[in-house]
Amino acid sequence: MTTSFKLPLKKGSVIVGKWKHGHYRVERLLGEGANGKVILVSKDWQWYALKIGQDAVDLQSEINALKALASTSMARDSYLKDVDDWVTPQGKELPFYTMRYVKGLDMSAYLTQHGEDWFPLLGLNLLRSLGELHQAGWIFGDLKLENIIVGQYGDVELIDFGGATQIGKGVKQFTEIYDRGYWNCGSRTADAQYDLFSFAVLCLQLFAPRKLHQLSKELLPQNRSIEELMELAKETPQLAPYLKWLEQAFSGSFKHGKEAASAWRMLAHQRRSLAKSKKTPRWLKVMIAISLISLGISASLYVLDYAGLLK
Amino acid sequence: MKQILLITDGCSNVGMSPIVAAAHAKSEGIAVNVVGVVDHGELGEYGASEIHEIARAGGGLSRLVQAKELAQTVQMMTRKTVVQTIQLAVQRELQSVLGNDSIEALPPEKRGEVVKVMDELTETSGLQVALLIDASASMRPKLASVEEAIHDLMLSLQARAGKSEIAVFHFPGSKQEDCVLSLDWTTHLKGVPSIFPKLHMSGTTPTGPALMKVVEHFIESSSQRKEMDGMIGDDVI
Repeated sequence: MTTSFKLPLKKGSVIVGKWKHGHYRVERLLGEGANGKVILVSKDWQWYALKIGQDAVDLQSEINALKALASTSMARDSYLKDVDDWVTPQGKELPFYTMRYVKGLDMSAYLTQHGEDWFPLLGLNLLRSLGELHQAGWIFGDLKLENIIVGQYGDVELIDFGGATQIGKGVKQFTEIYDRGYWNCGSRTADAQYDLFSFAVLCLQLFAPRKLHQLSKELLPQNRSIEELMELAKETPQLAPYLKWLEQAFSGSFKHGKEAASAWRMLAHQRRSLAKSKKTPRWLKVMIAISLISLGISASLYVLDYAGLLK
Repeated sequence: MKQILLITDGCSNVGMSPIVAAAHAKSEGIAVNVVGVVDHGELGEYGASEIHEIARAGGGLSRLVQAKELAQTVQMMTRKTVVQTIQLAVQRELQSVLGNDSIEALPPEKRGEVVKVMDELTETSGLQVALLIDASASMRPKLASVEEAIHDLMLSLQARAGKSEIAVFHFPGSKQEDCVLSLDWTTHLKGVPSIFPKLHMSGTTPTGPALMKVVEHFIESSSQRKEMDGMIGDDVI
């Protein structure tokens, strides 16, 4: 349920923290998640993304997840910066938190702008991020195009941790078309396979968004299945090298994000060496054929010669 | 935790007021959520306001949606209501311990701790959801979506750590009953081919009396449980 609420926010207005008194200058709206709005703000010449919610409990639950992740390996550069409340001019108290601001594009726009050659790397970077989460005992949950930002040189960043769920619990937030349960492919209990399933749907979303949408609209609920998803993957030329990987992701046969990432990596590199080695056999085959023929000729000559000698 | 989820597409027109019935439910500790299905706009202003009133009296949420959004809505509302029920209980505790009236009044660090406990309770506490489905003639084309939503809800509930059960009722019955039990308390839908096999749909919409029946069923089954608990222990149920 998207909580839609009006905010008296104009460019240049200032959000002040009630507890820690941080001053944040509003630049513009970045986006809207299920639990609130994300705004680009500046403080001391530094950009931040500020998420402001209406429901203190929902937002706090998200902050707790971020904090738990910050204490694990995900903390390369702490994602969560500040947590506070803002008293609006109308006297309403709204909870907010600030995060590192990542400038970039969504995956689909990135591939259009920079070329589809980037796809294997984006996939790998994303799978690695997911793998780190899984190792820390969490899943991302609501993996979808809107929640991923690609920065420079294919750097992938997950944003909006509203769906982040501890492994073993019920997935907190999800989007139907990316949801394993929606496609009759398993439960909504948080496990690494849940994220990997969504990742596989994301691949379809990137290269066949219209067909995917149509499929979900036309199929009867009981007919949604791996087979239908795989059928669509097979019709998508960009995914041809990944068909086996996708099937494994859809059926939940990767143990965790790390295994899925290394399988993906193998494919990404194999594909390049395969493309090279494909050319070699052609001339090799010709050479072998020539040498075989000449061997045959010389052998038969030899036999003939031998027979003649016998005479 | 106990919830009733009413799915309807029109105004009640027989028997007691559904708003009174919802207030009864609330006094029994049962939250009432209402989803209005508005596919062809036959609900009207009066119907819409009745839906919101029922939810308000029942301490629950109300939404007006298209049939195709039912699954997502039902699942989210149920979850949201669980959170709210726990929030209310926690708020009461806070008030008696700290004199604070809300979670918002706590500084962010303390709030984090409280919400952690709430999330844990949300995951682990037992939950019973009774779905009450309006099966009057105009709902016929929407029943497939309703069934899908019920299956989807079950899937989400099964992912919880706590025990979750659903029961399904529809109204009115074919023999002039106010309300019929279509599926009694269950934790799974395996082997349930169709929840609404061949319904005889009539024109009346006795929403109020049907709600009362569901409340009574809650009371009956909880007293039965207590007896059973006394006799054989609770894992049998």
